[in-house]
Amino acid sequence: MDPDTAIGGPRDRFPSTRHSLLEAVAEAGTQPGDALDQVAALYWKPVYKYIRYKWHKDNEEAKDLTQSFFASALEREFFQQFDPAKASFRTYLRMALDRFAANEYAARNRQKRGGAVSMAALDFDGVAAEGMQVADIDTPEAIFHREWQRQLFALAVEDFRAHCGQSGRLLQFQLFAEYDLAEGERPGYGELARQHEIPVSSVTNHLAWSRRMLRTFLTGRLRGVTASDRELRAEMRELLRR
Amino acid sequence: MNLDDSILEHLRRVVDEPDLSGTRYELEGEVGRGGLGVVYAAQDRELHRPVAIKVLDSTLPPVRLEEEARIIAGLEHPAIVPIYEAGTLPDGRAYYAMKLVSGQRLDRYLNPRLSLTERLRVIQRAGEALAFAHTRGIVHRDLKPQNIMVGSFGEVYVMDWGVEGVAGTPQFRAPEQAGHAPDPRSDGYALGALLQFLLPEDAPRALRAVAAKAMSAAPEARYPDIPSLLLDLQRFQDGLAVEAFPESLWQRTGRYARRNQVLLLLLAAFVAVKFFLFFLRQL
Repeated sequence: MDPDTAIGGPRDRFPSTRHSLLEAVAEAGTQPGDALDQVAALYWKPVYKYIRYKWHKDNEEAKDLTQSFFASALEREFFQQFDPAKASFRTYLRMALDRFAANEYAARNRQKRGGAVSMAALDFDGVAAEGMQVADIDTPEAIFHREWQRQLFALAVEDFRAHCGQSGRLLQFQLFAEYDLAEGERPGYGELARQHEIPVSSVTNHLAWSRRMLRTFLTGRLRGVTASDRELRAEMRELLRR
Repeated sequence: MNLDDSILEHLRRVVDEPDLSGTRYELEGEVGRGGLGVVYAAQDRELHRPVAIKVLDSTLPPVRLEEEARIIAGLEHPAIVPIYEAGTLPDGRAYYAMKLVSGQRLDRYLNPRLSLTERLRVIQRAGEALAFAHTRGIVHRDLKPQNIMVGSFGEVYVMDWGVEGVAGTPQFRAPEQAGHAPDPRSDGYALGALLQFLLPEDAPRALRAVAAKAMSAAPEARYPDIPSLLLDLQRFQDGLAVEAFPESLWQRTGRYARRNQVLLLLLAAFVAVKFFLFFLRQL
């Protein structure tokens, strides 16, 4: 069976549902480097923007606090203390961030520490230049939530791009990018078909496949930062709720 | 990669939409969301008719929806939405297609101007569907206003037939349902809760008593089955005493008077005429 068309898609690159990274860290008490990398990849932008808007910090201060937060989370055995019965990991992380930022000692003594996460890889200048798309969002919590959605999709799109590159499905990704990632008005399916010299039905099928794969990669990313099937389902609903 | 708001919204929408490629259906839009998944309106291209498609949440095992489809397919009743087909979409999610009901959920249909007769009619229709299902060994498990549809011609449908693992909704859940396999009497409890939910503030005490009896904490104190509950409601509508409400002599007299208004009026008129004639003869 083509792994891409199997139910759930190519899951083998992700940890299994029953033993997520969060569970692995909590159970074994090992260094949570892998889990922290996944958490940081997903949450650094929401954390950065949340800090900027909730505490009105400038770029440098927000950047320092974001770096310190992830380092602090690691040092405080953050993952071991997470109780999935009480809240989602996303809520737990945001509450921890609130406590962290409210701690004057931490603010005064913040250090540029990176822990196990390569903070140099995080594009703070880029995100500062992005500005904020907050026209109709009025609370820092809503900004955090929105940025969580945005970053999760961005990571899944990158996963999908890499997958297409590795499996030689460049046309599929190109169509996906031209249609689903189009800024402004989207081209018609007929226009895309003419441009790529393929039938319209192929455009439809390629886009359907791309969205299916994107969903699979979204699920995979979420699986890495949730502790149970139940939390995964709840987070997936939260991600797609309209 | 930075996704602006419009792209993000587009992606959130298309990723959540079911992949209907290769099926006979064309997606039209979302109708509603429930615990197991999302219901969409679609067009059947072969039969040229609107349908509703329930698509299982992708993180749940397909067996959950397949079981629900099998349950509903076995229940042919005017108050149960018929299923057309069930299967798996190309995106791996289980689905089933059913009749698209145009109407309103009961909680939205309910308004202060809705007559008591209409409220009781909805209860009767929903109760009949439950009673029918019980004869087939099926328990709904999660009866609540959100799971009842009232169609544009007044037809009533009970939706979302229960599957394993559904715990019910607190306001409508029988006490014994937590931790135990529900039996038909827990549906009776839910129907009583539904009756209570539908009754207006000035509802007759006899009706409140029916709801209270159906919602007794101990299953033995409830109506033994749904038909018994419906029969008591019918007794109320016929002006008869209901099993759930022991009447005083005064209440019984008042009910008798209301039930026989015409007869009593004729009798009063007859007596008045007799008196009139009697006094006329004395002149």
